[in-house]
Amino acid sequence: MRAELRAELLKQRSTRTGLGLFAAMAGLVLLAVLLHSFGLPARDLGSTSRQLMVLGRGEFLGALFAALIGAMSITAEIRHGTIRPTFLVTPRRGRVVAAKVSASVLIGAGFGLVAGAIATAAGAAALRARGIDVQLDGSDYVLLVAGSLAAAALWAAIGVGVGALVRHQVPTLIGICAWLLFVEGLLVGDVASLGDVGRFLPGAAAAAISGQEPGTLLAPTVGLILLTLYAAAAALTGSLATSRRDVL
Amino acid sequence: MAKRDDEGAIPVPPDDGARDRVVTVTSLTKRYGELVAVDDLTFSLHSGTVTGFLGPNGAGKTTTLRMLLGLAEPTAGEALIFGRRYRALDDPARRVGAVLESADFHPGRTGRDHLRALALAAEIPSSRVEEVLALVEIEAVADRRVKTYSLGMRQRLGLAGALLGDPELLVLDEPANGLDPAGVHWLRRFLRWFAEQGRTVLVSSHMLAEAAQTVDQVVIIDGGRRVASGRLDELTERGRTLEDVFLGLTGPAP
Repeated sequence: MRAELRAELLKQRSTRTGLGLFAAMAGLVLLAVLLHSFGLPARDLGSTSRQLMVLGRGEFLGALFAALIGAMSITAEIRHGTIRPTFLVTPRRGRVVAAKVSASVLIGAGFGLVAGAIATAAGAAALRARGIDVQLDGSDYVLLVAGSLAAAALWAAIGVGVGALVRHQVPTLIGICAWLLFVEGLLVGDVASLGDVGRFLPGAAAAAISGQEPGTLLAPTVGLILLTLYAAAAALTGSLATSRRDVL
Repeated sequence: MAKRDDEGAIPVPPDDGARDRVVTVTSLTKRYGELVAVDDLTFSLHSGTVTGFLGPNGAGKTTTLRMLLGLAEPTAGEALIFGRRYRALDDPARRVGAVLESADFHPGRTGRDHLRALALAAEIPSSRVEEVLALVEIEAVADRRVKTYSLGMRQRLGLAGALLGDPELLVLDEPANGLDPAGVHWLRRFLRWFAEQGRTVLVSSHMLAEAAQTVDQVVIIDGGRRVASGRLDELTERGRTLEDVFLGLTGPAP
């Protein structure tokens, strides 16, 4: 597995895709946090939960981009055909998927760490600049950054699993974006008849890890366990599908 | 599982035992729904030979090679390399080198990094990457991104990847596509040199004139079925060209 992992890490750093996604993520985190901190009325930014939500944009975008990196680690290989030489060298395909999950989790953790750190630092600074009293304490900051790291690492594994199942790059990436940006928002907030099932969804679980919406979402540790289960299930399903199906 | 018979073995001198059978394809069949891509195909290859795997477009050549290399699962029958399924080989990169498509590269990755990633996965030292780059004569472009490569350079890079493990068997799907005359000449000399060391080549092609100059035996398939196999000099005796033989055996496209 170590050999395959080293190969996967080289594949990740030998194209510009990773760097491009990283730069896009960092820019979007900064933009989102500054827009919220400066754009919302001051009276809406006074409470702890609202401040957590603004600073939590790092967790959300970190997880989204980590999922895209994870998904592309396999869909880009299928799209460009490099999956064939990859599987010729390592015909035990489960090992290839496991190496992709490991590499993506490592890179995803880096994405999440940076996203969480940027959002927390920029958000707190922006609120102070507006003269708004920042209600968060040290443990909130730790949870925001560590939670962002964990959420992105686990969502990277989910991305690999989804990519391995769907295989085609464009539907995979659109599906992940649509789910996190749109579908979960509907299920968590807007459809009252569904009750509180929304908080058990993987995007809501990721938000819970970084301590957001404590009244509505799960507790951080419960969110972490639930998202780990989602990640394991996605990776396992993707691995089984990849081992059983013919290579396109 | 599948029945074994020697019916499809290419005639060889009687002292050649089953031991040096490099490739054994037995009753190999692949169906996609109603479509039968490969139909009860049987043949075997001995070491030290260059075999042309010939057939019209859609005859099932690529599907057969994909099953041989563990990328597709046979519906029935089996395809063995050194007596085992490809996916059961212990160190496949050091025994088999293969190129299935000429474009299996990430366009934004350099040729050298493409090879280094494969070498890392196969635990092949990076010095071997430099050796194969020199062997296929693309050192000069190794640090350029593949999107800047000509088709001929891509073919050579693919071949370099197949040669990383210094394999005993080389499987190539249409390797001459896109090569200029000098490239074709180079490839032909390379394949002869490879086989002269007792190693084995299976090369699919529909370029018959080129194949006739490169291979010493052929397996011809059409509609997924083997329609002929044997030594090239025997098939083409009495003044017939490989093209005559091929066109006589393979039907017009449906």
